[in-house]
Amino acid sequence: MKNQYRGWQVASHLVLGLFSLACILPFVLLFISSITDDKAIVRDGYSFFPSEFSFGAYEYLWKNSDTILHAYGITILITVVGTVTSLAITSLLAYPLSRRDLPGGKVLAFIVFFTLLFNGGLVPTYMVYTKVFELQNTLWAQLIPWLLMNGFNVLLMRAFFTNTIPTAVIESASIDGASEFKIYYRIILQLSLPILATIGLFQALAFWNDWNNGLIFINDPNLLNLQNVLNRIMSNIEFLSMNSSMGATDALAMLPKETFRMAIAVVAIVPILLAYPFFQKYFVKGLMIGAVKG
Amino acid sequence: MKRVMQGSLLLLLSFALILSACGGSNNKDNNGAASGNSENSAESGKPSAAEDDGPVEELIVAFPIVSPDLTGLQLVEQEMNKITESKIKVRVKFMPINAGEWLQRTNLIFSSNEKLDLTYVHGTMYSNMVAKGMLSPLDDLIGEYGSGITASLEQKYLNATKIGGKIYSVPSVRDLAGSYGYTIRKDLVEKHNIDMSAIKTLDDVANVLQLLKEKEPDRVPISTGGTQSFRDVYKFYDELGDNMGVLPHYDNGLKVVNLFETQEYADFVKRIREWYKAGYILSDAATNKLSLVELMSSGKVASYIGMQKPGFDVQETKNNGVEVVSAELNPPYSTTSNITLAMWGIPVHSKLPEKAMKFLNLMYEDENIVNLFSWGIEGTHYVKVQDKIIKYPEGKDANSVGFNSLQWMFGNQFKAYVLESNDPEIWSKMKEFNESATPSKALGFIFDGSNVKTEYAAVSNVINEYKLSLETGSVDPDKILPQFIDKLQAAGIDKIVAEKQKQLDEWAAANGVK
Amino acid sequence: MNTEVKRKRINLRRYIPLYIMTIPGLAYLLINNYLPMFGLSIAFKDINYAKGIWGSDWVGFKNFSYLFATSDAYIITRNTILYNAVFIVLGLGFAILIAILLNEIRSRFSQRFYQSVMILPHMISIILVSYLVYALLGPATGFVNKTILPMLGVEPISWYLESKYWPYILTIVHIWKGAGYSCIVFLAAIIGIDREYYEAAGLDGASKWQQIRKITLPMISPIITMLTLLAIGRIFYSDFGLFYQIPMNSGAIYDTTNVIDTYVFRGLMQLGDIGMSAAAGFYQSIVGFVLVLVSNYIVRKIDRDNALF
Repeated sequence: MKNQYRGWQVASHLVLGLFSLACILPFVLLFISSITDDKAIVRDGYSFFPSEFSFGAYEYLWKNSDTILHAYGITILITVVGTVTSLAITSLLAYPLSRRDLPGGKVLAFIVFFTLLFNGGLVPTYMVYTKVFELQNTLWAQLIPWLLMNGFNVLLMRAFFTNTIPTAVIESASIDGASEFKIYYRIILQLSLPILATIGLFQALAFWNDWNNGLIFINDPNLLNLQNVLNRIMSNIEFLSMNSSMGATDALAMLPKETFRMAIAVVAIVPILLAYPFFQKYFVKGLMIGAVKG
Repeated sequence: MKRVMQGSLLLLLSFALILSACGGSNNKDNNGAASGNSENSAESGKPSAAEDDGPVEELIVAFPIVSPDLTGLQLVEQEMNKITESKIKVRVKFMPINAGEWLQRTNLIFSSNEKLDLTYVHGTMYSNMVAKGMLSPLDDLIGEYGSGITASLEQKYLNATKIGGKIYSVPSVRDLAGSYGYTIRKDLVEKHNIDMSAIKTLDDVANVLQLLKEKEPDRVPISTGGTQSFRDVYKFYDELGDNMGVLPHYDNGLKVVNLFETQEYADFVKRIREWYKAGYILSDAATNKLSLVELMSSGKVASYIGMQKPGFDVQETKNNGVEVVSAELNPPYSTTSNITLAMWGIPVHSKLPEKAMKFLNLMYEDENIVNLFSWGIEGTHYVKVQDKIIKYPEGKDANSVGFNSLQWMFGNQFKAYVLESNDPEIWSKMKEFNESATPSKALGFIFDGSNVKTEYAAVSNVINEYKLSLETGSVDPDKILPQFIDKLQAAGIDKIVAEKQKQLDEWAAANGVK
Repeated sequence: MNTEVKRKRINLRRYIPLYIMTIPGLAYLLINNYLPMFGLSIAFKDINYAKGIWGSDWVGFKNFSYLFATSDAYIITRNTILYNAVFIVLGLGFAILIAILLNEIRSRFSQRFYQSVMILPHMISIILVSYLVYALLGPATGFVNKTILPMLGVEPISWYLESKYWPYILTIVHIWKGAGYSCIVFLAAIIGIDREYYEAAGLDGASKWQQIRKITLPMISPIITMLTLLAIGRIFYSDFGLFYQIPMNSGAIYDTTNVIDTYVFRGLMQLGDIGMSAAAGFYQSIVGFVLVLVSNYIVRKIDRDNALF
């Protein structure tokens, strides 16, 4: 019994350790590339041990630090507000769907599911949000279109509710006279912290990584999030160097190029990396509490 | 299941209702726009002195930018409005769109009828935009308000933009032709005593490459940039817009042929294959993503081929950060693509087409407007050295000056000031260059692919599949070229060639070209 | 009869709060997903901007024909389906394995460390991943050709010109990028399992392996079924970035890297026709829809509770 226990521990550590290594090495390469001299990369390719270092990409970013800090602010605001709102409306929809006794529940589930397969496409969605709701050039545009809730998360949450919360618990609460809202708030949410933490994490990453909404809805540079700002710098450099024969501009020769992508990725990932352990503390705690109560 | 279906049917029905309501109001909008247009055009029939006393109206102007910092542009907007408000009763509002996002953004703006009065038009999208009804015909407006445009653009250039006999966009005045040449680092020319004046053909280039390969083992002798192939940078035919069906030697008696089946093409890819095998080309040329600027500035690559124009060496030296010199391989030709590369058009939904045209006219006529677009504000973004020669203010350079634009797209560049470090005679040389160019026989022909969309999409895919590997020498043409040709035919390239021939014949008949 | 109607009404009234809860979510779906569905009609139209979307002419199935115009139709369909099938099986399998192993780890610190690190690939944009893969496989400067193969005495391989390697490369990249992210769901499910089951099984002398087979897997099977069903619905879609960026758009390996999404993108780059791109999306959706209905029907026959609807 004990041997078996140790065997599993060793095997688990071995597999996870190897996979973690595969995940972390590329990131180290990414970071080293971001402080490698452009010319060295073009000459020798990417390397863990570059011949020349340069902080040109970071210097350029530092020069734009006002813009970038502002964009961080937008990203954090949107991520926090978005994740909380999203969790609320997702769970509010998922809970009734998980009740097998709800009349019309299957129809509702189908309505949710249908959105996973069919969509009107970019242009019509853009038209709805700009013509009907006039969201363009507002912060709402970073928050609402496509991101706020998706059917996948609803169905996922519903599956957890159905599978982890015994029907008897709800029934007895109902007999005790608890209102549906009270059941939702006091029982369902408390009992399903693992899935709330999971979907919260999914949503937070989605908001943090999104650049599409800023790209198509926003002109005002003050409303751009971090990914927008970084992508914009990148795409402009790319355009300039690809179209240099048109006589682009003098600015071109001075910009860092290849390493820039890497630096941008580092700037976008490191905050998440720093915040992740804290977040995870709560995440795991959420999982544990859920487990104990469940 | 049945219940599910019933429920969703009901839902769909109710949406259909909502939608038809939306559609109704949309139609009304469109009608409104249309009637507005007709009113306007009725007005434009009369001399409109009265209109200039009217209120100042806001004109939205969209163009690509490359600088993330918009403060300089806002200053320029204010400064420009001082001129336009008094001259044409217009307050300009810029809609700057990042160059890398241009296609996607404009597509959305057009499909949702967003307010827009004047827009930059990119050559490769032009015939599509006209075919889909995005742009208004401009002939009458130019006749009425475009005296500055016709004064700075010869009629032949304006004619080159005609589709179905109508002008839909006005090209900017810049290099309206292209020659092809060979460019190499100057230090290598001096070190190895290369006689640049003796380089006139690809054979001569090959000799230089052989020398470089022997004497400069640390450098790759020649490369293209990014996702380009060698044919992209060395054209020996009129591409007629898209390379599917071309006119060899810019003439060929107006007979359209499939480029990829020509002997010239076969010879060309064989030559490039030899270069590749001899080690003149990057070994990963087919997948290379680095731009020429990166390859040159790092010193990895020694030379390249490309489309040229007067002032090319100065510009390239600046971009690459190393001094380069060039030799001409093909003399300048003028094709429709050269001219339509950067243009301006008025969206079909604009409510102010006259004012848009008046403003566009200023971009060709008014030196101040041209220079505001090109260089920003005098004293802030540049200072004058002499009459038309400028430099950056003390202690500033292109990066720190706070204003950057893609100058070649803004109206009449021949009215733009010239930077101190450039050739002061650049614009007169450019003019000479344009005039010296041999016009392609099909100059002015624009192909509309909407009748052969299915084949177009299929052929695009096939070209994508073979182009880079064949035209960078990465694969053996003896084996791959026949495959390529077979697949093109299966995808229907002959149908595109035939359609193009038909349109070209019609065009030739209508324009008296023989 | 009368009393029955009455009881039903009372019953329905009981559910009113539940219906109210669904309002925000359904309203969002209405706005974000259902209103724009008028765009589905674009697939059947020849869009003319002067006439607007409503006024444009209907063209029937003309926008669809380019999807089936050449022999590529077979290749892209085959590739799309096979890749997705492999991704569903191996991707889910690996994620479940990781989740189970993570759950076994006793040390809190290690568990947290592994989890943080494994989510990293999800955070890197696909373009950067393509650069990283290129750093490994590049013909001249790549790590594999420069360091690993010479050590083994093998000739350098032109990875980007030989199609036979790509099914493996793409599958590995897909799993590498997604496993850390998708294992979170399974981890949540596993942690949710009541400890008493395992304690009881342990007392009965069941081995770890038996516990996993008899307790863990059955307990998380509803989640596995659901994720599989949803993945089947998207079997005609593919991760565009993975198939376009990672092979560096190299034409010589289209045989094994071209999928429906990349084909549509390359075909329409110059045309920019929204009618034709809408047609492709419609085709992908319809096929996925039919497949899900069929597989959902089968799941329902086996176990009612696991079905989607």
